[in-house]
Amino acid sequence: MESHSPVVVCKEVTRVYRQGSQEVHALRGLNMEVAVGEFTAICGPSGSGKTTLLNVIGALDRPSGGQVLLEGRDLAALSQRERSHLRRDRIGFVFQAYNLMPVLTAYENAEMVLALQGVDIEERRERVEGLLADVGLAGMEHRTPDELSGGQQQRVAIARAIAADPAVVLADEPTANLDSENATNLLDIMEQQNRERRVTFLFSTHDPRVMERARRIVRVVDGRVETDERRT
Amino acid sequence: MSFALWTMILYSGLMSWYLRDMEATIVDLEVGDLQVHALDYRDDPSLHTRIDDAEALLQQLRAAGYRATARLLAHGLAAADESSAGVAFFGIDVPSDAQVSLVHEHLLEGSWLDPADSHGVVLGRRLARMLAVDPGEEIVVLSQGTDGAMAADLFNVRGILENVGPEVDRGGVFMPAATFRELFVLPTGVHQIVVRRPADTELDVAAEAVRAAASGLDVRTWRDLMPTLASFMDSARGALVMMVVIVYVAIAVLVLNAMLMTVFERIRELGVLKALGVSPGGILGLMFAEMVIVTAMAIALGVALGAPTLHYLATEGFELTSLAGTSVMGVAMSSTWHADMSAETFAVPIGVLILIVTLATSYPALKAAFIDPVRAIHHR
Repeated sequence: MESHSPVVVCKEVTRVYRQGSQEVHALRGLNMEVAVGEFTAICGPSGSGKTTLLNVIGALDRPSGGQVLLEGRDLAALSQRERSHLRRDRIGFVFQAYNLMPVLTAYENAEMVLALQGVDIEERRERVEGLLADVGLAGMEHRTPDELSGGQQQRVAIARAIAADPAVVLADEPTANLDSENATNLLDIMEQQNRERRVTFLFSTHDPRVMERARRIVRVVDGRVETDERRT
Repeated sequence: MSFALWTMILYSGLMSWYLRDMEATIVDLEVGDLQVHALDYRDDPSLHTRIDDAEALLQQLRAAGYRATARLLAHGLAAADESSAGVAFFGIDVPSDAQVSLVHEHLLEGSWLDPADSHGVVLGRRLARMLAVDPGEEIVVLSQGTDGAMAADLFNVRGILENVGPEVDRGGVFMPAATFRELFVLPTGVHQIVVRRPADTELDVAAEAVRAAASGLDVRTWRDLMPTLASFMDSARGALVMMVVIVYVAIAVLVLNAMLMTVFERIRELGVLKALGVSPGGILGLMFAEMVIVTAMAIALGVALGAPTLHYLATEGFELTSLAGTSVMGVAMSSTWHADMSAETFAVPIGVLILIVTLATSYPALKAAFIDPVRAIHHR
C-alpha cells in the first residue's frame, strides 16, 4: 500500500533541553524516514524521546541539530507563519488528551481545520459529515465534547486530523486514555482510514494493542532509533 | 465596563455643563467676553477716568459683528428707613445692555429698568434685604458727582435681582444711563464698554480685534479680569480628564487581569489552536476580536443606560434649591444643575475606553499569540 517516496525524513536530529543548569538530550542524532501510506508506531520507554520526535516532525518544536524534511521541505528553513500554515495544511494531530474545543460541537471541532483553510462551507459540510459517519459518529454532530465518551472524543479528534487530507497524521499515545473496546474501535478507524484514504499515520505508543496492529514499529531508546521493524 | 462608561458619560455631561454654565454666568451676567476701560481706570476706578468717544468705538465694534454696550460706574451709599449700605451704581443703556447681558432675566421680584421711568432702580437681592425694601418702595442714594457736589436723590425700587453674582447681590444698584448722568453730573463719556464676541470667534481673536479698534484703551478678556476663576476652570477641566483617566486605569487593570485569566484558563485551547495551524497573527486577531465584541457590548449597554439618564439631566436637571444664591469663587450658582448632551459627551468616554481596553488587551494577546504550543498543550 505504501509508496517509497518519503513524506518524513529525519537526519541526525538532536533536541537538547535545558532544565536549570542541566542539559537534557531528548534526541541524539535520530535518523528515520516515513513513506506515504505507512502505519507506523514509535515505541520505547518513558523519556526515550517519542513525544519530542513527534513534536519536531509536527513543526511544533525545533530540533537543536540535524534536519527534518516534510514532503521535502526543510522545517528549519520555515518562518513561524510558514510553520503554522504547514501544520494547518499538511499535518494532522491526534493528542492523548483529545484536546477538542470544549465549547464547539463535534461537527465544529471536526471542521475547524477546514474552516481555518477557508474551505467553502458546503464543501466543509460534505466532507465533515462523511468523516463523522466514517468514524461512527453519525447523529452525534451537535454534541459538545462533554456529551461524548472518551472514545467518541478521540474519534472526533481523528476526524479533525484527517479532514484536510494531511500528508501525515501524528498521534501521541492516542489510546492511552481509552479502555480496551474503545482502543480497538479507534485502531479499526485509523486502519480503515489508512487503507482506504492512504492516510499516513505515525503514532507514539506504549500500548501493546497498538503495536500489534502497526505495520512498522520503530523502537526509540535514549533519543535514537534502536530497531525498525516492518511487517507484511 | 458598562457601569464605568455610564458613570463617565454622566460625569462628563454634568461637568461639561457646570463649566459651561459657570463661563456663561461670568460672560452673560458679569463681565461679558471683553471689557474696555480708559487706561488706569482699573487701577484707580474714578468717576473722572472715562472713555470719551465711546459712541464711535461702539459703532465700529457693532459694524464688525460684535455686540457692545457702554456702562457708567460709581460707588456710594443707599439707605431706606434706618438701614444703609455701600453700593455700586451701574448706569446702563437699557436696550443695548439687554443685547450683551442677561442680568435683566434674573429678576426675583418686580420688573426691569424702563428708560421712561427715570427714578426707577433695580437692586441686588441681599442689598434689598439689608435695606428691607420691596419693589414699589423708595430708597435714598448718596454719593459725590463730578462737580464735587453731593449727588443725592430718591428712587423707586422697580425690581430685585437674584443669582447674578456676589457683588451685584450685595450692593448692585442698576439705573438708566440718563439717570446716572443726571445724578453724577456726567454729561459725556463712559467708564466701561462690555463686548460680546460672535459665536464663531475665539476669545483671543476677538481680543486682538477689539484692541485694534480701541487703541489707547485698556482691553481685557474675562480671563484677564478674573484670572483666579479662569485658572480654577482650567484646573476643573484638567480634573475632569484626570478623573476619566483614573477610572479607566482601574478598568484597564481589571481588563488586563480578566484577559490574562482568559489566556491562563484557555492556555491548552490556545496551544491546540496553534498546533492546528492558527498563526500568531490569527491568535492576536481572535483575542482582539473577543475584546472588540466585549467592548462593543459594554459600549452599547453603557450608552443605552447613559443616554436616557443624560437626557433626563439635560432636560430636567438636579434641583439645587438649597444652593440658590450661593456662589463658587464669586460666580453665582444656578439653582438647577443640568448636563450637556452632545456627541462629545459620549465620544470622549467611549474613545478613552476603547484606547484603554486596547492597551490592556495587548499584553495578554501577545502572550497568547506567542505561546509555546508544546508546553500549552500539556498544561494542566
